[in-house]
Amino acid sequence: MSTPQRTWRQVAAKVRAHREYGAGFHWLDLEVPTGFAAPVAGQFVQLLLDFPSPVLLPRPMSVASASRRGGRLRIGFLYAPVGSGTRALAKLAVGDTVHVTGPLGRGYPLAERGTPVLVAGGRGVAPLLMAADVIAKSRRRCEFVFGARTASLLVGHAEARERLARNGSRLHVATDDGSRGFRGNVVQLLDKLAGKLEPPLVIHACGPHGMLAAVARWAMANGARAHLAMESVMACGTGVCRGCPLPRSNEARDRVLAEGAAAAALKGNPEWAMCCTDGPVFESRELDWERVE
Amino acid sequence: MSHAAPRRKPIPPARVDLRVRIGTLELKNPILTASGTFGYGDEYAHVVDLSTLGGVVTKTVTVKPRAGNAPTRIAETPGGMLNSIGLENVGLARFRDEKLPRLRVLKATVIASVGGETPEELETLLRALGREKGVGAFEVNFSCPNVAAGGARYWADPERLERTLARLKPLTDRPLIAKLSPDVTDIRETARACERGGADALTAVNTFVGLAIDLDAMRSRLGKATGGLSGPAVKPLALARCWEAAHAVRIPVLGSGGIASGRDALEFVAAGATAVQVGTATFVEPEAATRVLEEMREWLGAHGHARVTELIGAFRAEHAQEHAPATLAVEERS
Repeated sequence: MSTPQRTWRQVAAKVRAHREYGAGFHWLDLEVPTGFAAPVAGQFVQLLLDFPSPVLLPRPMSVASASRRGGRLRIGFLYAPVGSGTRALAKLAVGDTVHVTGPLGRGYPLAERGTPVLVAGGRGVAPLLMAADVIAKSRRRCEFVFGARTASLLVGHAEARERLARNGSRLHVATDDGSRGFRGNVVQLLDKLAGKLEPPLVIHACGPHGMLAAVARWAMANGARAHLAMESVMACGTGVCRGCPLPRSNEARDRVLAEGAAAAALKGNPEWAMCCTDGPVFESRELDWERVE
Repeated sequence: MSHAAPRRKPIPPARVDLRVRIGTLELKNPILTASGTFGYGDEYAHVVDLSTLGGVVTKTVTVKPRAGNAPTRIAETPGGMLNSIGLENVGLARFRDEKLPRLRVLKATVIASVGGETPEELETLLRALGREKGVGAFEVNFSCPNVAAGGARYWADPERLERTLARLKPLTDRPLIAKLSPDVTDIRETARACERGGADALTAVNTFVGLAIDLDAMRSRLGKATGGLSGPAVKPLALARCWEAAHAVRIPVLGSGGIASGRDALEFVAAGATAVQVGTATFVEPEAATRVLEEMREWLGAHGHARVTELIGAFRAEHAQEHAPATLAVEERS
């Protein structure tokens, strides 16, 4: 009987940097105490403000960077203050305390064999900035496809371009209105690029669910693998509340039923995968994209 | 007129006796985790030493596995959260064969939560688990607000509760705890029905039925219209129900609803609860139950209480004639 290894902790972290990132986005750097495991790209943490917080529950947030400085682990986040939780987060000052639970969930399998293609939609760029760093550190190249409605929403575009250029990776930009780069969406751009790339392609994507569904369908139709980072409202983030279901594909349902008792403890639901522990990164064949909201 | 308690000499918190009794089961302290907020226990075992808690109430298990409700299952509201999970669980067979063995290793006092759409389903569960090693007691979930059949409304009928508990009682030698819904006209009636049926204790209360509407989409913020409200927002409501239930019966009551601190827990104890359950607070802070326990111990020590049992029911309403359900309960019984 295999018991899943759990390494997450809840710790008090210090705000080390917090700045405007353009287009209404913020960059937040937290220093976490020793004992907190280094997150991998695609994983998330739960951020909880000190009392009195205007919201009750912690907020799941994707990790955009992880680095060590003088033995201390720093974790970076790129976010837009759009809801009550993130608006409260935006008021944090350097030196403030935030409670961090993590690292949580399964990240991108960046070592998977093939040509890595990172596909970001709007603020979905956050975990892919980190993925690009990791790929660069392993002395490999990647193709980075970055799309948004319009040029001003290409958050962190300049930084991404600079980072990618260092190791010969390339940035490909798409905007719906054609204000920068390719006019169209990331899937259309991906389709155009794919023929020039060495197969097999391994796509790592993050963005709105509609975009991820389109990327997943493209991958399944074109013999590529795609790992998609999903989002959900969550309460615990750790698998106990069962609050963040995503619809499994028929293939995944049959597999879960066949595995039965041998399946890992938290994966026993044939109907629904939990975003927090089964994901947030899912391979395209794991989910029923017709039913993803 | 003030009724300030006489000041007692503080005692070291470590010397405070926290043991309480639920029927034949002795708990090392009154702090338990609430069903549905702590999984099957082992999910938190790497951050919480389960053996230090009074008990772990597991996620409700049903005869057959349940996939749970379609999304959205969670919506935060001011000071609380709505959930519509729909009793997702691994089912009886996997609970017995996979989950229970792990909990035995972790040396937790396990209170298995069981749920059924009919009295017969509950009988099946109790027949299968009733004498299973490693189960300290059973909590019967008579109060899930999020299932189409066999939920809080079905079990709000006092006669049905009494009859069902009378059928379950002979199937186990462990204490039976009936978990009650707050959404009834008079919780004293369901509480007394459970006591008559043979329940050894009550849990008061489960979540409150609540609704949150997304005005832009003009639909519920949950996949189903309504969900169960929990968290600090419900604490005063839950405390009142717990107080009413505790004074209506002679069996112990486990308080539940918005408990997030030692003081919250002690309010429930003062209102008549023998033990309490920490639920939603665990989602915010995985080690919440442990902190609540330590804060309770500190408070009792600082206020010179050698035993937590001294405080059970310590609260007495000043205007008992007008409001206290205790008086009524005693009159009706005698």
